[in-house]
Amino acid sequence: MSGLLVACGGGGARTATPVLGWYINPDNGGQAELAAACSAAAGGRYRITVSTLPNDASAQREQLVRRLAARDRSIAIMSLDPPFVAEFAEARFLRPFTADEAGGFTAGVLTGPVEGATWHGSLVAAPFYANSQLLWYRKSAAVRAGLDPARSPVTWDQIIAGAEQAGTTTEVQGNRYEGYMVLISALVASAGGAVLDRPEAGRDARPTLDSPAGHRAADVIARLAHSRAADPGLATADEEAARAAFQSPRGGFMTNWAYVYGAESEAVASGALDRAVLADIGWARWPRVDPDRPSRPPLGGIDIGVGAFSSHPDLAVDAVRCLTTADSQRRYMLKSKNPAARAAVYDDPEVRRVFPMADLIRESIGDAAPRAKTPYYTDVSTAVVRTFHPPASVRPNRTPAAADRLVTGVLHDKVLL
Amino acid sequence: MTAATAPAAAPPGPVGRVQRSNGRTRAERRLGWTLVAPALVAMVGVTAYPLARAVWLSLYSYRLTDPAGRHFVGLSNYGVVLTDRLWWSDVLTTVAITVVTVAVELVVGFAFASVMHHLVFGRRLVRTAILVPYGIITVVAAFAWRYAFALDTGFVNHVFGLGNFAWFGHRGSALFVISLAEIWKTTPFMSLLLLAGLAQVPRELLEAAEVDGATRTQRLFRVTLPNMRAAIMVALLFRTLDAYRIFDTVFVMTNGAAGTETVSFLAYRQTITRTALGLGSAVSVVLFVSVVLIAILFIKGFGVDLARARGER
Amino acid sequence: MGRVRILKVTGPVLIAVWTLVPLLWLVSLSLKGGDHINDGRFWPTAPTLRNYRTVFRTDLFTSALRNSIGISVIATVLSVVLATLAAYAIARLDFPGKKLILSVALGIAMFPTISLVGPLFDIWRSVGLYDTWPGLVIPYLSFTLPLSIWTLTAFFREIPWEMEQAAQVDGATPWQAFRKVIVPLAAPGVFTAAILTFFFAWNDFVFGISLTSTGRARTVPAALAFFTGASQFEQPTAAIAAAAVVVTIPVVAIVLVFQRRIVAGLTSGAVKG
Repeated sequence: MSGLLVACGGGGARTATPVLGWYINPDNGGQAELAAACSAAAGGRYRITVSTLPNDASAQREQLVRRLAARDRSIAIMSLDPPFVAEFAEARFLRPFTADEAGGFTAGVLTGPVEGATWHGSLVAAPFYANSQLLWYRKSAAVRAGLDPARSPVTWDQIIAGAEQAGTTTEVQGNRYEGYMVLISALVASAGGAVLDRPEAGRDARPTLDSPAGHRAADVIARLAHSRAADPGLATADEEAARAAFQSPRGGFMTNWAYVYGAESEAVASGALDRAVLADIGWARWPRVDPDRPSRPPLGGIDIGVGAFSSHPDLAVDAVRCLTTADSQRRYMLKSKNPAARAAVYDDPEVRRVFPMADLIRESIGDAAPRAKTPYYTDVSTAVVRTFHPPASVRPNRTPAAADRLVTGVLHDKVLL
Repeated sequence: MTAATAPAAAPPGPVGRVQRSNGRTRAERRLGWTLVAPALVAMVGVTAYPLARAVWLSLYSYRLTDPAGRHFVGLSNYGVVLTDRLWWSDVLTTVAITVVTVAVELVVGFAFASVMHHLVFGRRLVRTAILVPYGIITVVAAFAWRYAFALDTGFVNHVFGLGNFAWFGHRGSALFVISLAEIWKTTPFMSLLLLAGLAQVPRELLEAAEVDGATRTQRLFRVTLPNMRAAIMVALLFRTLDAYRIFDTVFVMTNGAAGTETVSFLAYRQTITRTALGLGSAVSVVLFVSVVLIAILFIKGFGVDLARARGER
Repeated sequence: MGRVRILKVTGPVLIAVWTLVPLLWLVSLSLKGGDHINDGRFWPTAPTLRNYRTVFRTDLFTSALRNSIGISVIATVLSVVLATLAAYAIARLDFPGKKLILSVALGIAMFPTISLVGPLFDIWRSVGLYDTWPGLVIPYLSFTLPLSIWTLTAFFREIPWEMEQAAQVDGATPWQAFRKVIVPLAAPGVFTAAILTFFFAWNDFVFGISLTSTGRARTVPAALAFFTGASQFEQPTAAIAAAAVVVTIPVVAIVLVFQRRIVAGLTSGAVKG
């Protein structure tokens, strides 16, 4: 396994082949496999070694920022969560792509991911995979709740009341971490608002949670947290905790990333999950906040950036080219269950077999709302999450305004975070 | 009322110090400084210079990821820290953890020390059992306790029939688990310091008190404890400062959520997570000053014998 | 006297239960297979060693283990050497500034390490010590010196110095007397200081997470906190438990063999009468 090379860190310069360090978010070996494939295809021009970053997105960013601040030359390429792209670009940690290079990285790529990887007009990272959340539900629970999400769009109010009626839960991510910001951002966007006005202005961006949309978002969270549909562990739930509860007898509805179906299929294959549970799982577009306004699902995924201090920037660009081809993305989607950024991949028969909801995922990514694109994203996100946590403490008429005050203070170094 | 405090026993001086000639004194002085210098440089170099740098950085509004935006703000960062509710709420959390854990440790540690003091057989076993928490990595201990109380992996709710109680979802219960883990880990250290103190209580005094008809409780409060005062104070000083710096357990258990953030964690998040080096340095400096204040409180206020703490006697 | 007897019998049992239950729990957790990790039972129903195989195949853990052992040993050796020199001077020689050294040591022992992490990170990144072994050895050295100096000073005071004087009367210089007579006598004390220093370095978390970021220098406690599951969202609970047990084994071994020394060391420094 190429993972074994991590320990050597690229120090062994015995061979003439330049080593490109790739810092990846943890997956089930999909990126390592691509690294090996592209190294082989490079025919000795370069060799990619992978180093795995921590599990949660904020910790991944923290690791990379510290290494890049130390002008680490061993970071040739890195897997970046889209909301952190602006900060890295502004700090000049990323080598921007030329217009020529950018053309290849964006051709046929869904628009959301391209916008997320662009800063001040130039592409600073290459979309690798895209992601969006869906509404996952247990068909049996939906029947008891009197809902049919596959047929017509449902609202948050409906799935909360429905879960109560069915005696099940509505699982979301409510831990004090970035995943909770994903929920808040998507709720605000689905209510027709945004977390920040002019996010690209950095310190001078204006938070706009204290708005009708912000209040609606807070209202949904408060309603869920105080309903019987809330999981007892809501305040500490992350993606996997939510999925575990969803597949247990109390599971009813859940918003979660596209990997869920693949993960449940694998659980069935390994014997850890009853086949009947998998057959009971349905999917639909992320719930609406307002009945007559289409939802804006969360946008996730991974972009690949080239390190500004890399000793081999041109080779790194070549490597990124190889890693992000439609074929690489197709293979990665099948292996890791994370959806491709290039639209054509969703038409592949194999992909459609493994992802029966391929079209829904593509549509969801297409309509998804990116999180605020600001170089101060981490501060904004931490501030919002802090005011909104625990979910049961959210007051629709007070919390959004408090979040706005905190964000403003934090951006100007006037409060601690 | 016959029990009394033993007169402070004069410590035995260095054995057989002899007069030396002047030449030897100078050589001895030079040798003394030569032997001490490397350790002194290593200790001071790694603390004084970074501390000075922290003071300097604290005068700027400076983010590592926005070097161009760095500007001088004077003492305003300190104003931000000292008027911030988050700082004071974290101070409160930290003080609460410190007071509770140190108090419990003192009582439990004393009980442990008494057991060990009176032990006739199984001394080796008990000593080993007590030293394991002391030697174990704090992070490991924190994980063990976290998994024991967690909703998914835990056995505590299961065993005690607590259903789906989310220990880490509420401030009080989260602080309880954090304190429990801290107490488990550090009571051994406390009990060993107290054991050494117990060994110093003159046996004759206890026997005399018993002959005079003093009850067990009277002997404890009138003879044993007063004679252990120095040992107790030193143990309290060290454990208090140590508890005040609590970081690892909070990091592992809650990552600061549910109102469990401590001052060390706050400083860490500003400087390392947010890379807000200016504001973070101000937090670090204030934290340092607060530690100095606690030390002064103990030394001046409670009269902790520093010479003892320094190991001179 | 009934109470005393009860204390003598139940006391040790209670202590042992209190200290060992969390350890047993960790071992039990590490033996649980993937599907049983959430079963809420104290004992594993179908014990398996799979998690141990997993952690030893995880680069992050094996490299962290190497780093932890290497860094802790180097820091321990350096710290004990410097502390031995200093403690000898303090216990034995007359020179102005003795008190200063002990006060500095006391101050450093009370120092909130977290206050230094920010500036140290900033300095280390500009001088190239970030994410290297020396980058951790240096702070460990500084922060273990106080404990080593105390322990050793206390030990050295117990040494029968007449023997050294006898050697000096026989014409040996102070340095020779130190090397030939005192070093063998002081060896047990030095050893105790080494164990305590090793525990400190082995245990450190604050520097470990702040001054490292990869398998190049990341130590075990830091690696544990950033452990990842086999897949993106998987909880690494069982693997962490197994890794935790692995790194606890040396601690238990040291405690079992050297408990008398450790107790002596811990109690001599601070509360010696």
